[in-house]
Amino acid sequence: MNTIKVYVTRSSAKLRKLADEELMGLICHSEAAAFEILLERHVDAAFSLAYRMTERRSLAEDVVQEALLSVWRSSASYDHSRGSVRNWILAITHHRAIDALRRDGLRNHRDVSDYGLEEHLEAPERTDDEVARYDEANEIRTALDQLPPEQTSVIELAYFGGLTHTEIAAMLDLPMGTVKGRMRLGLEKMRSRLSPPESVL
Amino acid sequence: MSQPGHDSDCRESGQAAAYVLRALDHEEAERYREHLDRCAICSAEVSCLQSIADSLSFSVPPLEAPNVLRERVMTVVRAEAELLHTAGAGDRAQSDRPRPRTHRTQLLSAAVAFGAGVLLGALATSTGSEAPPTRVIAAQLSSTPTGARAVLRQLGGHTELLVFSLPQPPPGKIYEIWLSPRGATFLPTDALFGVTHSGSASVNVPGNLAGVRQVLVTAEPLGGSPQPTSSPIIVATLRSS
Repeated sequence: MNTIKVYVTRSSAKLRKLADEELMGLICHSEAAAFEILLERHVDAAFSLAYRMTERRSLAEDVVQEALLSVWRSSASYDHSRGSVRNWILAITHHRAIDALRRDGLRNHRDVSDYGLEEHLEAPERTDDEVARYDEANEIRTALDQLPPEQTSVIELAYFGGLTHTEIAAMLDLPMGTVKGRMRLGLEKMRSRLSPPESVL
Repeated sequence: MSQPGHDSDCRESGQAAAYVLRALDHEEAERYREHLDRCAICSAEVSCLQSIADSLSFSVPPLEAPNVLRERVMTVVRAEAELLHTAGAGDRAQSDRPRPRTHRTQLLSAAVAFGAGVLLGALATSTGSEAPPTRVIAAQLSSTPTGARAVLRQLGGHTELLVFSLPQPPPGKIYEIWLSPRGATFLPTDALFGVTHSGSASVNVPGNLAGVRQVLVTAEPLGGSPQPTSSPIIVATLRSS
């Protein structure tokens, strides 16, 4: 017996013209080609984040694979009113990376073979969009680096190190309230530096 | 410039920054999420801080993901897409609506009144003139989050249950597969399973399925149960009567 399989296919060229939110609509219909376009757009950013957090290439790959498959399988749960697709993908990647760090007990433990990997993996010539993102990254990085060191360190230990506030407090020999307070002050200072000033009436 | 939350009289507002940085432990985060449902002050604080916390993910040195990673992900995605399309379960966004009958060649369909109202479908496929036919049956799920789905795949005499995005079983419980030859009769199997972080599992369905009308899954105490202690969460109908 022969089977007739009928799929609606779209050319890659047409898919590439679609915005992320439009691709998500197709992905909800299990269109693998649409997902591939979305992956191409965001896999580098996801991998960059996962590698920054885990500092292990193989673990970063596993984290990103889990995150992207989660995006594929739970695409219907994406809510555009809560943020961009890019933010959503990176938030899932961040969650997975934290799970990996906490599950495996890894804390900035780097494989010797991964040294020098950044030069090998560094993104090549960029498009205009990618240049804009690179500039955005620099701006955010600068805002973080300009914070008082005690605020930068608690934010980095939490966000990139996957540590809980309890663990950070123990590590830095600080009260938990102080740790949380520094997190709040640091994020608020970053917000005021990165946001346009509000007019005061 | 206004500083949301600083004038707050909510004792929990100090958790907001740690929450958006995901620096609360699991139980604290769960409690704070429940608190956010009731507290406008903390919700506003979290809203203000979340976008800044999320922007940190853009601050990392840009790297190029290895090609092997892209290929691994797409291999799984393409396989699942084909499986879902074959089972007629490709439209995950509309899985809560009854699906119209189709007249596609060799498509068998049966409706089961089960709460979620999703039609079951089975498509017999053949990989060649001498190869045993592969049969894929979309299963119906009840009371599951959006995106969860399950299919039965039969190849020759072997039957496999594939689940995607299924929640973890409740604490102290495990999923158990049952066979139902008719009516409300449930025959236990020794197929007990959990799911991965992403809610996936691939489980062999044991036993001779000749005469079996439905394959079902319930959440049971660890070690399984001789009789179901809860309502089925997955039902796959092999034959309508």
